[in-house]
Amino acid sequence: MTSVEQAVADAHRREWSKVLAATLRVARDLDLAEECVQDAYIHALEAWTRSGIPAKPGAWLTAAARRNALDALRRARTYRSKMHLLVESDVSEQSLPIDPVIHDDRLRLIFMCCHPALAIEARVALTLRLVCGVSTQDVANAFLVPEATMAARITRAKKKIAGASIPFRMPEASELPDRLDAALNVIHLLFTTGHTAPSGET
Amino acid sequence: MAHYAILLYQPTPGDPDELTQEERDEHSRYGNQIEELGGKMYAPHALKSSTMATSVRGDMVTDGPFIEAKEVIAGFYVLEARDLDHALKIAKLCPANWQGGGVEVRPIAAGSTLPPTP
Repeated sequence: MTSVEQAVADAHRREWSKVLAATLRVARDLDLAEECVQDAYIHALEAWTRSGIPAKPGAWLTAAARRNALDALRRARTYRSKMHLLVESDVSEQSLPIDPVIHDDRLRLIFMCCHPALAIEARVALTLRLVCGVSTQDVANAFLVPEATMAARITRAKKKIAGASIPFRMPEASELPDRLDAALNVIHLLFTTGHTAPSGET
Repeated sequence: MAHYAILLYQPTPGDPDELTQEERDEHSRYGNQIEELGGKMYAPHALKSSTMATSVRGDMVTDGPFIEAKEVIAGFYVLEARDLDHALKIAKLCPANWQGGGVEVRPIAAGSTLPPTP
């Protein structure tokens, strides 16, 4: 593995969910956000080989992924597809800080994944997949179900988030008491998964 | 904006004539509350008793609602809201929740009572 490949692999392990959460704020659509993040990592392989590994790989990847998302949304807007309904009008390239408030975005992502409108096993699976970057195979192992079953469960949950317009935002203070338990449960299970990894070295 | 069908469930038979005047007033006030909370209500309907219902399955015609259950759909309306959280906040205030039943919040795929989305 070259040093650039190593750096990209490290950034994937450490920064993936932060980059995803920050991108989702712009993309407003999980599938689109995931795609943009993936493209950013692919782009990094080539760009970092050409001009060196940046000092803050996470910030570089976030900026690249959000740019991808903005491009995709502008394209979609031009095509008058439905996507333009999801664009926040106040989002522009200038308003995007290089180092965004990452913790808020990740917490939003957790609350979106733990929405009471999702089945409880889907909440945990989705959070493991999206917030922790655990592979679908490993999530399946943790739940003792075949990978195809878990992939279908995660896809169903993502469809419901889009179809029912489950928002990507922090619950209001008045909603927090109802919403907190689900998030805490999931976070507890995340630590369990970290403690006894379903695959690889523990 | 997102659109949801709000399906109001009441204990069988879900007869609106059994509602007290106070309960009816609650339902009329609820319409104003929705506007105050930034939602929009379209096509509100109360249904007659489910004992009046007739069901058709293929060629077969039977009396009664489509699904025999302890609760039946007693009414519905279309809600325009920002997102699911906004819709749920409004749905929680629906009087059906404390009149023995509850509501189902169901995203709408397509329909003709909806205003054209900008």
